[in-house]
Amino acid sequence: MQLFLPIAHMDVNIVLILMYGGLVGFLSGLVGVGGGFLITPLLIFTGVPPIVAVSSGATQMAGTGAGASYIQWRYGNIDFRMALVLLAGSWLGGGLGVYLANILVRGGQFGNVVTFLYVVLLGFIGISMLIESMRAIIRGGAPDAPVPGEIVVRRTRRHPILDRLPFQMEFPISRVRMSALVPLMLGGGVGILTSLMGVGGGFIMVPVMIYLLKMPTKIVVGTSMFQLLFTTAAVSIMQAGANHSVDPFLAGTLILGSILGTSYGARLGARMPAEKLRLILALVVVGVAIKMVMVLVVPPSEIYEMTVRVR
Amino acid sequence: MKHLLRSMVLAGLMLPFLGWADDALVIEPETSHVDITPEFAGADVKTYGVIDGPGDLIIKVTGPRQDVTLSREIKWGPLWVGGGKVNVAGAPSLLYLYATKPIAAILAPDEQDKYQLRLEGVRIRIEPRLLGHAADDWRQAFFRLKEKERRYVEDDHAIKVIRDRLVVTDIVLPADAQIGNYVIETLLVKSGKVVGHDVSHIEVRQIGIERWLWNAARSHAWLFGIACTLAAMVLGFTLSAVFHRH
Repeated sequence: MQLFLPIAHMDVNIVLILMYGGLVGFLSGLVGVGGGFLITPLLIFTGVPPIVAVSSGATQMAGTGAGASYIQWRYGNIDFRMALVLLAGSWLGGGLGVYLANILVRGGQFGNVVTFLYVVLLGFIGISMLIESMRAIIRGGAPDAPVPGEIVVRRTRRHPILDRLPFQMEFPISRVRMSALVPLMLGGGVGILTSLMGVGGGFIMVPVMIYLLKMPTKIVVGTSMFQLLFTTAAVSIMQAGANHSVDPFLAGTLILGSILGTSYGARLGARMPAEKLRLILALVVVGVAIKMVMVLVVPPSEIYEMTVRVR
Repeated sequence: MKHLLRSMVLAGLMLPFLGWADDALVIEPETSHVDITPEFAGADVKTYGVIDGPGDLIIKVTGPRQDVTLSREIKWGPLWVGGGKVNVAGAPSLLYLYATKPIAAILAPDEQDKYQLRLEGVRIRIEPRLLGHAADDWRQAFFRLKEKERRYVEDDHAIKVIRDRLVVTDIVLPADAQIGNYVIETLLVKSGKVVGHDVSHIEVRQIGIERWLWNAARSHAWLFGIACTLAAMVLGFTLSAVFHRH
């Protein structure tokens, strides 16, 4: 069954697009990442112009995010207070990132430097998570299984300097207490990176919340989903405004597929032990890192590439 | 009287082309517009014409302008990294040079330049502006890719002339044809001189809801973006709420 996309200006197979949506939705529901890193290349591979793929992917994520956030909220998995602080940080960082990107583009090679940093960062995060979650699975549960006295243990495990910062704040849903500056700065850092790299950053945000903020995995998934909703909505609007590249038919079909996937993913996630969730996320992150390395290593068949900017 | 007036107006209009406006030549596509419907997979526009007596023909089809981005990768040690990108503006999305013989065999080089009958003679603007010969690689890459994708085509077998009178050709529009006005310019050449000239058009346009959306995405970009994003969120939320209940 074919569908004509008015903005992408091409025919696509509806079933194929629904399947893409389903796959990305499943991952979102399960581990709270947006899946922009997955949907964009899939769409480009199908022949959708890159800018339309990126933009409509963001629109889809806003839709999927709204749906997934609802489900996560029903499961009680969203720490709204944490999400707002992270969001404030990532918007500040995002704005700074756009400004930085503008300066750095003039510097020439910086895009490549960022790519390298990114690969290293992703590889490091992914492999550490992989090791940690495998160990946890072998040990059978822990380290974030709810045990008595857990919060106390966690607090001491964090670097003491974090507890001395001003604006200490209680995050009851995440069962942590920390300075609001910590998530604000972490959100900011992720925001800068996402502006520079042009991706949603769920797969950076999620590990940051699990390992640095020491939040419970399931709360992380829900909170990440919720804050991703706003980030991607902003990107979607800006892309449509600046590049006229949001295709409503494409985004709508993707959302349709993704909601089924999200619903299934979230249900599975609710039953699954946290360390297994982290293992899946680790595999995803490592997968993205490997993909980026492949792009760097495999010689391109055509050195030059031409893309239509605006139709 | 009226007839005379019309002739005078016509003659006045032809004045700039006086040198070669003497031979009769009419070329017309079978349709003046191509609608992009949901099933659109490219179009084959049959084009007919009449000439009086022997001569060579050149039909130049120029698509609407389309801005593209060119990027390249360079080898850096063992790695392939981004080697910059430029925007190419002002170039037609499509350029066909159809002829009855190789154009170089029909017209002298300076005549070719005069009528812009070279694929690589198209004026393009590379942004940002590069100094010296830095733009040459990009320029060459642009034309090479356009020709590879068969968007810029020179074909000396595309025109069929029957008994030195009837002209038939096929203008092939790709599935992702740029929306807009396609100009079909025909030149009649006799012994190295352009002696006849005709221009017609094909309008490629979208219809129905696709057209409406396409227009909205351009004329009210921000509003369209906000509406699309909100609609996406409402759709996602509603679907989730429905599915989750079961």
